[in-house]
Amino acid sequence: MTQAAWTKPAPRTPIATKVIARPQRTPHVQSYVPEWLKGTALTMKHFFTNTKERMLGQKRDPVLENFDGGITTIEYPEERRPYPDRYRGLHRLTTRDDGSPRCVACLCCSTACPAQCIHIEPAEYPDGDERRGYERYPSVFVIDELRCVFCGFCVEACPCDAIRMDTGMHPAAYDSRDQFIYDQPILLSMVGRDGGRKTENPRHEPGDPTHPGVTREHESH
Amino acid sequence: MSGASLVLSLVKALVVVLFLLNMSAISVWLDRRQSAMLQHRVGPNRAVVYLPAAAVRALLLLPAVLVAGALAVPMWRVVPGFELPRITQGIEAAILFAWFGLMLLAAHVRRNGADNAFEETVGSADPRSYFYGGLVAHLLAAGAIQLLPTSLTTTGDVSWSTGIAGSLAAAVVLGSGFYAGTKVPDGNVGIRLAGTLHALADAIKLIWKEDLRPRRADKLLYALAPLLAIFPALVTFAVIPMGSALCFQDVDRDRMLSFGDLTHLANVLDRSGACPPGHVSLSLAVADLNVGLLYIFAIAGTGIIGAAIAGWASDNKWALLGGLRATSQMVSYEVAMGLSITGMLMIVGAVHMQEIVEWQGRNAWGIFVQPVAFFLFLTALVAETKRVPFDQPEGESEIIAGYFLEYSGMKFGLFFLGEYAEFVFSSALLVTLFFGGYHLPFVDPDGIRIAFGSSTLYELKLTHLAVSLLHIGAFFGKTILMTWLQVFIRWTLPRFRYDQLMRLGWMKLLPIALVNVLVTGLVILAVEAGGPGVASILGTAGQVTQALVALLGVVGTVALVTWMLEPSKPQQFAVSTTARYTLEAGGVKPTKMGA
Repeated sequence: MTQAAWTKPAPRTPIATKVIARPQRTPHVQSYVPEWLKGTALTMKHFFTNTKERMLGQKRDPVLENFDGGITTIEYPEERRPYPDRYRGLHRLTTRDDGSPRCVACLCCSTACPAQCIHIEPAEYPDGDERRGYERYPSVFVIDELRCVFCGFCVEACPCDAIRMDTGMHPAAYDSRDQFIYDQPILLSMVGRDGGRKTENPRHEPGDPTHPGVTREHESH
Repeated sequence: MSGASLVLSLVKALVVVLFLLNMSAISVWLDRRQSAMLQHRVGPNRAVVYLPAAAVRALLLLPAVLVAGALAVPMWRVVPGFELPRITQGIEAAILFAWFGLMLLAAHVRRNGADNAFEETVGSADPRSYFYGGLVAHLLAAGAIQLLPTSLTTTGDVSWSTGIAGSLAAAVVLGSGFYAGTKVPDGNVGIRLAGTLHALADAIKLIWKEDLRPRRADKLLYALAPLLAIFPALVTFAVIPMGSALCFQDVDRDRMLSFGDLTHLANVLDRSGACPPGHVSLSLAVADLNVGLLYIFAIAGTGIIGAAIAGWASDNKWALLGGLRATSQMVSYEVAMGLSITGMLMIVGAVHMQEIVEWQGRNAWGIFVQPVAFFLFLTALVAETKRVPFDQPEGESEIIAGYFLEYSGMKFGLFFLGEYAEFVFSSALLVTLFFGGYHLPFVDPDGIRIAFGSSTLYELKLTHLAVSLLHIGAFFGKTILMTWLQVFIRWTLPRFRYDQLMRLGWMKLLPIALVNVLVTGLVILAVEAGGPGVASILGTAGQVTQALVALLGVVGTVALVTWMLEPSKPQQFAVSTTARYTLEAGGVKPTKMGA
């Protein structure tokens, strides 16, 4: 009788196994006391090593020095671990030289947002402003940080480098939900990791001779 | 019984209960903290109380003032013919406080940075140098004072030098207290006491928690069980001597302790430690019963009732199983416990705890006399107090929490408190039976004497008060140390299976204990037949064990402190932006950071 086709064929070679030796029931092991003392010595070693680190302020820095065991806890309010450069923290709106937002209210970010947490109301510059007809500005720019999923799509979508998530801050716990609704002044007040409110990318104002795109006579508007 | 003895008994009982309750609360915390340290975690240290800076300064200064007062006042009291040791005590105390304070300051500077030039100097030195310097200064001072002529230390009736030595120690303590006070920042200061406040926070939480009761539980028994569980743990401590008996001069000659006698503590005792004629003694056990150990076994046996009743009254099958397990386990191990200590009782010839301790002081500590009995007794004691690896009555993985499963709030807290009070008491019992109780090697009732056979190597006379304080400190220190060591058992061993537990108790511990009794009896007969030659050899062997304990204690302490103070220079790596930002901020714990 041959083996049924649906059964798994027997392996040709035995599977290589690692045999773990069973503890031998020697008097040394069975008397329990030496093994117990050995175990206690091991736990004591760990205890004293870590206790020593906490004495005399020798606790290892969990970020810089923790490479061979020891306490890895960051005791949060007193100890803080800075976030890496590419950490997506709270949003900020970058500014131009005159302090106005770089945002041109194109609605790319609110469109890209999967959580629909960005609300923008675009507005035209008043008559006589050199930017009128050239671009718009946000009269209302609100982010609900509780709805935000911190995906970073808004930053990717922004053509003007106007919204960034490089503040390096996490949303702190407040005592009410409306404190998580960040409006334009709050977003403009946030600074980046370098402490500034601008970005390194150049911004072309109307009439800028280095502007690579179409130039328009703004007087005609 | 006189009124003074009655009041003193109440005071002693209060001391014992406070010690047990506080130690059990702290042991609960220690248990968690120690497990955290084993597992590279921090453990509970977040509980905090905010006090105004003035209150914190007062708290720092208060112990300093108390210690200084306790040091300075007795030193100025004139004691004719007994000045030399008092100078030594004063100067040694001053040296102790000086190096310890400097070491603490160095630790503070390392943690928080230096504020002035003095702190910078203190913090720049290797912390070990303070320890070594202190040890050398201790020895030098002890040697130098022996060389001083007696005429220099005594001028007629006024012993100015002892007063100056005491005042020096007091000044060092006060100065340290004041300096520590200046380091307290203004405003509200958070006090954490190394995390021990967590025990307090736990108690407050438990007291205010809702007290739930199963609908069909037996109301009376359900409420009674926690009290029955904690009661034996507290009262068994009554017969354990916390120090050698104090001798008071019988001023009113009524052969009883009266309030007038309490201020007349004997100055010195002779080597035997007996109270001189015209004195009355005060035992430092709450109840100085001559059936000491039997009382402990009798009361400890009633601890079962609390667990059994709790299991029955809760109307829960897991709780009932836990209560049954607890009952059978404690009954089984009581047998092994009683038999394992029998050998010790045969040698000492008494069950009076004070006599057991004094016998160990005269000869050798119990662990050297009955090493097998020690391990048997320790095992039985751990099983008796239902702790890991014998905590099947609780068995979280099998019967959830066992007999106190249905309890909540402070009733649960009482079970826990009782369990840990039993644990602290078991440490005290181990210390009393096997580690010499309040006895310290080479400390006789009249002072420190290092002697082998008939030759005395070093001798330093101490007052009765100093010896008594040493004894009390030794007893509580040993008990706390033993508690701390016993916690390691919990974090080292896994739980036994229930049948293994029963087999261990009845088929291993019991026969070994019986054999131990037999062998002990044979050895006692052999020694008696051997005559004075064997007795003197055994006496010298006892002194060698005392020397061994002293040597191990000193070498162990020095080695441990040396290793603990060794500065570590861990290598720093900064390969990520996180690490770069951390470096710029000066580590994860920057000196000042906004909210």
